[in-house]
Amino acid sequence: MAGRQPATPQDDAALIARLRDKDENAQNAMADLYDRYSGIVYGVALRVLGDTTAAEDVLQEVFLQLWRKPEIFDAERGRLAPWLAVIARNRAIDVVRKRPHEEDVDEIPIASGVDLEEISARRLAVEKVRGVLANLPPEQRTALEMAFFAGMTHTEIARKTGEPLGTVKTRIRSALLAVRKALS
Amino acid sequence: MKDHAQFAEDLALYAMGSLDDQASHELQTHLGTCAECRRELEALRGDLALLALSATGPQPPQRSRQRLKEAISEEQRQMSGSEGAPALRRLRPRWLTLAPAAVAVLLAVTSLGLLLEVQRLKDSNTKLFVELRKTKQDAAYAKEILVMLTDPGAQRMTLVAAKTAPPAHINVIYQKDKGHILLLASNLAPIPDNKVYQLWLLPAGSAAPMPCGTFRIDGQGNSMMPDTMKAEGVEAKGFAVTVEPVGGSNTPTMPIVYAPAG
Repeated sequence: MAGRQPATPQDDAALIARLRDKDENAQNAMADLYDRYSGIVYGVALRVLGDTTAAEDVLQEVFLQLWRKPEIFDAERGRLAPWLAVIARNRAIDVVRKRPHEEDVDEIPIASGVDLEEISARRLAVEKVRGVLANLPPEQRTALEMAFFAGMTHTEIARKTGEPLGTVKTRIRSALLAVRKALS
Repeated sequence: MKDHAQFAEDLALYAMGSLDDQASHELQTHLGTCAECRRELEALRGDLALLALSATGPQPPQRSRQRLKEAISEEQRQMSGSEGAPALRRLRPRWLTLAPAAVAVLLAVTSLGLLLEVQRLKDSNTKLFVELRKTKQDAAYAKEILVMLTDPGAQRMTLVAAKTAPPAHINVIYQKDKGHILLLASNLAPIPDNKVYQLWLLPAGSAAPMPCGTFRIDGQGNSMMPDTMKAEGVEAKGFAVTVEPVGGSNTPTMPIVYAPAG
C-alpha cells in the first residue's frame, strides 16, 4: 500500500473522514485534498470568471466549505473530483450573475460512467472531452459554452443568437450527449 | 401541462441552472415523481462534471495554499480561543477572573437568545418557503383547471356504467318574484327537426299549465335555456316538458315527456 500516489475513492473518503476531527491531523488531510484538487477548482473557476483574483476567491470558498462541512460530501454518491468541479462551476457562475451564495455546500448527486479518481484516467477523460468540444458543430459548442461557462439562461442564449428556444435546448442537449458518447 | 418527454428535454438546462424559475419549479415537481428523470439528471451532472474538468490546467498561485491554511488556522484559533492558560489565570485577582466570566455568561445568555431567535427565524423561513411553494402549486393547479373549463377546444365527456344509457336530466331554476327561469338539460332524447321541446310551469292549485320557452338540444341531448315568465310572482308546484311544433303551443300536447321527479 505504501507509496500509492494516485487518489482512490478510499483515500478521498478517508481524508474527508479525518476533516471531521478539526485537529492537526485534519489540517494535514485538508492540505492533501488541496494539493490533489485545487487545480480542478481553480481551473474551472478561472475558465468561468476569466480573472485570477476572483478565481482564487472561489477556490478559497469551495475548500473552506469542504473544511467546515465535510459531511456533505458522500463518497457513495459521487466522487470528489467531479463534485468539486461542479461546485466550483456553480460558485463561479453565482459570482458572474451576482447571485447570493448558498450558505451550505450543495448536495448534488452525480453519476458518471467514468472513473475520475485516478489522475491518469482523469487526464485521458479531459483530453477526450476537449477533442469532442473541438469537433462539435460551432453552433452547438457556442450554445453549450454560453450555458455552462457563461451561466446564461436558454432565454438569454436564444435572444443573443437569434435562435428559437427549442433550437437552443436541442443544441445544448446534443452537445452534452456527444460528450457522454465519447466517454462511454 | 408538460409531459415526461418535455421535462426530459429540460433536464440538461436544469442541471446547469439555466432554466427560468417557473420551468425549474415545474421540473422539480416532476423530479419528485419520476425516477427516470432523476437518474438522467445525475448522468447529465456527470457529463457536466467532465465538461468542467476540461477547463482544468492552470494551477493556482502558491499564495492561495497559504491563504487557505491561514483561514483554517484562524477558524481553529477562534474555536479554541476560550481555552486560556491556567497559570496565567491563577495570577489574576479574583475579581479580575470573575469579571470576564460574568461578561462571558452575559454574552452566552445573549448569544443563546440570539441563536434561538436565529433558529426561530430559520424555522419560520423554512415554513414560509414550504407554504409559498404549496401556494404556488395550488395557484398553478387552479389556473390550469380554469384554462380547461374555458377552453372551447377541450373535449367534454361524461362516463357512466358501461352498457347503460345516460339518464335524461333537466334542472330548472325558478325565481318566482322576477319570473326568471333557467333550464339546464342533459341527455334528452332526440326529436324530429320540425319539433321542439317546450317547458311548462305547473301552477300551484288547479290552474292550467302555463307555457314557457321552447328549446332545442345539441347532438349530445344537452341544452341551456334562460326564460322569463310573462307574469311575475306565479307560485309553481313544478315544471314539465312536452314535444311541440316549432314555435311552441299555448296548451301542452300530450304526453308529458319530462315531469317533476318523484
